Amino acid sequence: MLWLVQFSGIAILFAGSPLLWGVTQSVKAHLQGRRGPSVWQMYRVIAKNWEKETTAPEFSSLLFRLSPSVSMAALSVVLIMIPLSGQAPQGWPSDLLSVFFLLALERFWVGLSGLDSAGTFGGLGASRTSTIGTGIEPALLATFGVLWKVSGAGAIEPVSASLKAVPTGVFALSLAAISFALIMLAELGRMPVDNPDTHLELTMIHEATILETNGRLLALSQFAMTLKLTVMIALGWVIFGPHSGSAWANLGLMLVELIGTSAALGWIESRFTKIRYFQLPTYLSIAAGIGMLAFALSSGGFNL
Amino acid sequence: MTLGLITAVFLAALAGLASRKLSNASAFISSLGILILGGLVLLHGGSVIVAHGIFYLSTLGGWFLIVLGVVATMSSWYRWGYPDHSRTTSFWLPIFLLSMTTVIVAGNAWVFLTAWETMTISSFFLVTTHHEKPGVLQSGYIYLVMSQLSAMFILAGFMAMGSQLHSFDFAIWAAHASMMPDSYKNLVFVLLGLGFGIKSGIVPFHIWLPRAHPVAPAPTSALMSGAMIKLGILGIIQFLLIDLGQTDRFWPLVVLAVGAVSALLGVLYALMEHDLKRLLAYHSIENIGIILLGVGVMGVGIDWQQPALTFLGLAASLFHTLNHAIFKSQLFLAAGAVEKHTGTLDADHLGGLIRTMPGIAVGFLAGSMAITALPPFNGFVSEWLTFRGLLTVASHSVFLMGIYGLGLAMALGLTGALAGVCFIKAFGTIFLGEPRKAVGHTAIPASMTLPVLSLGLLSLVLGIFPQPLLNLLGQVGLQSAAGHTDLGNLLASAKTVTVAAMLLAGTAIFAAFSRVWQIKTVPRWSCGRVPDASMQFTSASFTKAIRTTFALIYQPHRKLERLGQHAPDFADRLLYQGGTVPVWERHVYKPLYRWIWRVSRLSTRMQAGPIRLYLAYLLGTVGLMIAIIH
Repeated sequence: MLWLVQFSGIAILFAGSPLLWGVTQSVKAHLQGRRGPSVWQMYRVIAKNWEKETTAPEFSSLLFRLSPSVSMAALSVVLIMIPLSGQAPQGWPSDLLSVFFLLALERFWVGLSGLDSAGTFGGLGASRTSTIGTGIEPALLATFGVLWKVSGAGAIEPVSASLKAVPTGVFALSLAAISFALIMLAELGRMPVDNPDTHLELTMIHEATILETNGRLLALSQFAMTLKLTVMIALGWVIFGPHSGSAWANLGLMLVELIGTSAALGWIESRFTKIRYFQLPTYLSIAAGIGMLAFALSSGGFNL
Repeated sequence: MTLGLITAVFLAALAGLASRKLSNASAFISSLGILILGGLVLLHGGSVIVAHGIFYLSTLGGWFLIVLGVVATMSSWYRWGYPDHSRTTSFWLPIFLLSMTTVIVAGNAWVFLTAWETMTISSFFLVTTHHEKPGVLQSGYIYLVMSQLSAMFILAGFMAMGSQLHSFDFAIWAAHASMMPDSYKNLVFVLLGLGFGIKSGIVPFHIWLPRAHPVAPAPTSALMSGAMIKLGILGIIQFLLIDLGQTDRFWPLVVLAVGAVSALLGVLYALMEHDLKRLLAYHSIENIGIILLGVGVMGVGIDWQQPALTFLGLAASLFHTLNHAIFKSQLFLAAGAVEKHTGTLDADHLGGLIRTMPGIAVGFLAGSMAITALPPFNGFVSEWLTFRGLLTVASHSVFLMGIYGLGLAMALGLTGALAGVCFIKAFGTIFLGEPRKAVGHTAIPASMTLPVLSLGLLSLVLGIFPQPLLNLLGQVGLQSAAGHTDLGNLLASAKTVTVAAMLLAGTAIFAAFSRVWQIKTVPRWSCGRVPDASMQFTSASFTKAIRTTFALIYQPHRKLERLGQHAPDFADRLLYQGGTVPVWERHVYKPLYRWIWRVSRLSTRMQAGPIRLYLAYLLGTVGLMIAIIH
């Protein structure tokens, strides 16, 4: 039973991830007083790029050509690892630290392909992406620490029920969720950190790494981008979100949460301006600090 | 008997000084001998006393013999193609190997220290192989001074231990050292910790590493960075954790702090380097820090009397020791190949080497992914274990200690992310893109490429199937952690095989779908200008944001001079100088150096040189002695 839920969850989330992108863009357009493209637009963009001829810049090597595939593979493995109904089937590979390292793997290859394109923009994107990564990874560990405290062995599982039993648990839970949300925005390259719609070289981060990419490689990169969106939101809700008894109900709830969060991202994107690149360390240290506070509170008190 | 065999081979190596082939072959065979000896010791399990206590083979030693053997085998294989015909290497390399082996199997303090000093001296001569080049001798002297400092601390620590236990046999220490009074344990911990720490390159004492490693020939750098600095770790684990047993609970926390600081500062300094070998040397400091984090977890486990945690820390540190030996020697050997290929190691002059030396490039990429702890390579497994240990410590402690543990885990996470930036930079600027300067391209023989690739394959295999080796480690654990531990499923939740299979299959499927073999090459986008190599990022511009973020540590400075007749408005030439401040050298070692000179200059007043003065001193001393005796 759990196997079936997990497999169908993976299939739905994998196939549906471009839709989440569309939801975000559509909400954003409405809030800005535009009609905006349809929610299915990302599927059309990916399909269009898939049909186009693929070229690569001179001096680029196999790494540039393989990088989108590595990103897709790493993010797919992360998606597979998340117990989407809050409960993994027996023997399922669901390991928190592996998720951490797989996200690093994706970032590493994106950075390499940026430098492999032998242009200015690739290097720019690679430098910025990997520098932001140095703030994301420690901050992510702080929230993972809260989860570790509850699960004890690093499996991905819901923490809310166990945390609520602790006196300060509610505070810990909400602080950890806030910290995770802040990190998620940075990891996804969404608004206070990066503007996904920009093509201005002074500000773009993720777009710069894929500026030289086109055709099928671009289609894969864009799919990977939407998949990352799906994976990060799903990870957050599985760990910190509410869960009921039934696996199917949890999966349904997950779908609602995914769409709701994408809509909220659209709102955030219209409400907030991008912060300066050199002030990102402050933003990420605040996220890390909140995570550490959550960890301290999750032990239930201040006994030294 | 095996030991005798190895010694015989070494003697043959010395005799075969005249013939380079003979010396290469004997070094290779003796390295294989070390590897086999290590395997035999581990398979045998338990410790053996050989030759009336001169040698003491423990399973821990067996593990380090394997570490040494792997690095030595690959380095001597690599030497077949490495065009270094100096007789210095042929003479000192076998002695260096023999002394490292003896340090590992030494049975008492005297054998250990003799071998330790021989190791220092032989490696000093190996480092200064090219003493005719500027700066090499100076680097060698700094190395020698730091090594002497380390040996002095170790000697003092051994004296303290021996005076309390009335023996210098390691077997007796292993049995009785845990019964020493706490004050002695503290003394021994400080002395030996400093001694072994200096030799491993922990942070305040790290300055010799980035000087000695780059000037040495590549196989020597690989041996020093891959194997020699690990012997300090062997000392810390054997004498401080296993022998001393439970100490003041303050010490494991100190080890953890030293580890975290070394890891972070090591990688931060590496980021600012554009000389490939110096960069790798700083990464050795980082990895020693990561190993020490594992060692610290083991110490906490001993302190808490938790065999499972003890074994987790031991497994993490020992596995990372082996892994670091593998990928660091791989990276150093690849760096040597880059140097022979192009004649330079400066990342700002290189680029696009993946097209002229694809084999080395693949090897370097594998090494970069392993050192950045990315799945499915071996660094991932050992850092996974270290993280697990740190988070376990953090989540089983109350408030402050918990925050401390979490902070350590976050420091390790930051280290890993920074290492990722550093290796994107190193691999990206050296092997990818367009060449930045016209450099020569000497062909690289297969005997230099193959060892690098074999080491890469080894790190991949260990990253996918780590369990057999961890089971071997169980032998070490059973002996030291004293108590049955849950060895079988230490890695169970990581499911390395499944993850690696999914990753490789996924990459292959998506690559096949995107038809990577059909992709056409076109000019790159350069905003309508003529593209050239200078539009690419350099290692300095790539790490600019890190330099400003960690300005407190780097203290960056820059100066822009406008030259020419009407310089303020119409400069003919701009002169730009930028850099970072070497904080430790400027604020710690320079003042210390000046102080030492001042003291020794003061002593010239006493030691003026005339023989009459010395005779007067002698007479005075004798008179004083007689006065005291009466």
